[in-house]
Amino acid sequence: MIRLNNLCYQYKNGNKVLKNLNIHIKSGEFVAIIGQNGAGKTTLLKQLNGLLKPSQGTINVCGLDAAKTKTSILAKKIGFLFQNPDHQIFCATVYEEIAFGLKNLGISHEDIEGLVNRAAQRVGIDQYLKTDPFSLSKGQRQRVALASVLAMETDVLVLDEPTTGQDYSEGLEIMEIVKDLNKRGKTVIIVTHDMELVAQYAKRVIVLQKGSVLEDGPTEMVLGREESLALSNLQPPQAYLLAKKFHKQGFFKDVYRVEEMLDEIISYLDGEENACNG
Amino acid sequence: MIQIKGLSFLYNDSKEPALNNINLQIGEGEFVGIVGPTGAGKSTLALCLNGVIPHFLHGEFYGEVKVDGKDTVENDCARIAYSVGSVFQDPEAQIVSTRVEDEIAFGLENLNIPRIEIAARIKESLEMTGISDLRDYSTTQLSGGQKQRVAIASAIALRPKILVLDEPTSELDPKGSLDIFNTLQKLNKEYSITIVVIEQKIQLLTEYCSRLVVMEKGSVLLDGPTRNVLANQEILQKIGVNSSPVTRLAYMLKKEGLYQGEFPINVEEAYLVVSKVLSEKRR
Repeated sequence: MIRLNNLCYQYKNGNKVLKNLNIHIKSGEFVAIIGQNGAGKTTLLKQLNGLLKPSQGTINVCGLDAAKTKTSILAKKIGFLFQNPDHQIFCATVYEEIAFGLKNLGISHEDIEGLVNRAAQRVGIDQYLKTDPFSLSKGQRQRVALASVLAMETDVLVLDEPTTGQDYSEGLEIMEIVKDLNKRGKTVIIVTHDMELVAQYAKRVIVLQKGSVLEDGPTEMVLGREESLALSNLQPPQAYLLAKKFHKQGFFKDVYRVEEMLDEIISYLDGEENACNG
Repeated sequence: MIQIKGLSFLYNDSKEPALNNINLQIGEGEFVGIVGPTGAGKSTLALCLNGVIPHFLHGEFYGEVKVDGKDTVENDCARIAYSVGSVFQDPEAQIVSTRVEDEIAFGLENLNIPRIEIAARIKESLEMTGISDLRDYSTTQLSGGQKQRVAIASAIALRPKILVLDEPTSELDPKGSLDIFNTLQKLNKEYSITIVVIEQKIQLLTEYCSRLVVMEKGSVLLDGPTRNVLANQEILQKIGVNSSPVTRLAYMLKKEGLYQGEFPINVEEAYLVVSKVLSEKRR
């Protein structure tokens, strides 16, 4: 679905931001890209939508050479949701906002209506189609922005810090929608600093450090790489740190979510009980 | 240090009050975290503390707000600024100068502080925030966390007794966020500055604040020592306020009937909680 081969990028001032990236993301994956500010995460995303072209190496997005493809063509393949919904919202009604990208693609009115309704329903804002998006709450506006992206029916969805600036339940709503989309086959790439969110949703984690890939693997593996995470000023989730404290005593396997920690505790206690009864 | 009595505020053109009968007393040297869902009135409350409400943002204002003994209606913003320093979400939006030193001098110059005094204050506030080495830096070459600490240094250069911060870490990565809270802790412990911080990152709030105020729909829903507030897990989850994973774990253990006692706020405390659960069952 997405393949980066020896991709390098340097800004005109000579600053090398991306160094020799080799990343292959398959259809249906849920990938989190993490790393501290300045690690090159945003620059990498701009390669995916064609806003920046690689200095060296190649990038292939859904079968297209992103370096040679117009951004408008790439936009049909890969949808972007940014941190601040207000940077991407500008129409007078929610309907127009969701329809905007579709109109640009030259889709017929009837088809647009169907696509807009479907996207609005998917994110639960269909009752607001005639409303001015700026009269909605920030969490609702983020869902409008998400609906605009979904209406394009791209195979890949990229989210840059989608929960930042939102309160906990708003962030959770967005993530649950994204999780469901992924279940139905959409490829999801998310950039975030929130390790609890990574543990909860991502299946694969890529750690970027100074423009290079420091770690790339299943979430369970990467979140346990404390040294690598520390290099990026990140910490494993609390559940992992807690379970690890018991490893010396021989208790508990590695866990990443508190729900798993609870299961570990309960199964340990059950085991003790059985041992006593036996 | 802060006395709020029967405070209600209704923005012009708005039907619902943003604040609805708020009563809050905050003593000198407290480190208070304010949390709540969007639209709870947290930012409006912050604007009432630095006098922006009612002096610049207008609406119907009821009740009384006193900061450092000054009534915010009777005193203008400049006078309140001697008592209350403010820091907001986006450091870019508050930095006006190209050099760090000039940025900190800016507020002092506006208040007609003598030149020699200004130099001393710059040195002092850079030291207090741990960024003395950034004095000659261009403000454009700073990281987000550094910029936010410059904003804090500028605010405390006026030697306020109270610092009010509205989501100061929302634009920052985990390291930058931690730097800010370590700076706040230092200002609080070593210089007895009263800190009021609005924040969504609940792990930071629970580890650093001694008191939590939970707001919802313009009212104070919960208020007390951090641990006591966290004990209200049903209410917090119902209104959509997250808790640290270790706090949630303790709540799950409680629901399973495996644990009774205080809620842990960090991994070390959670280790003791889980150890207790394991050993009690073993006996």
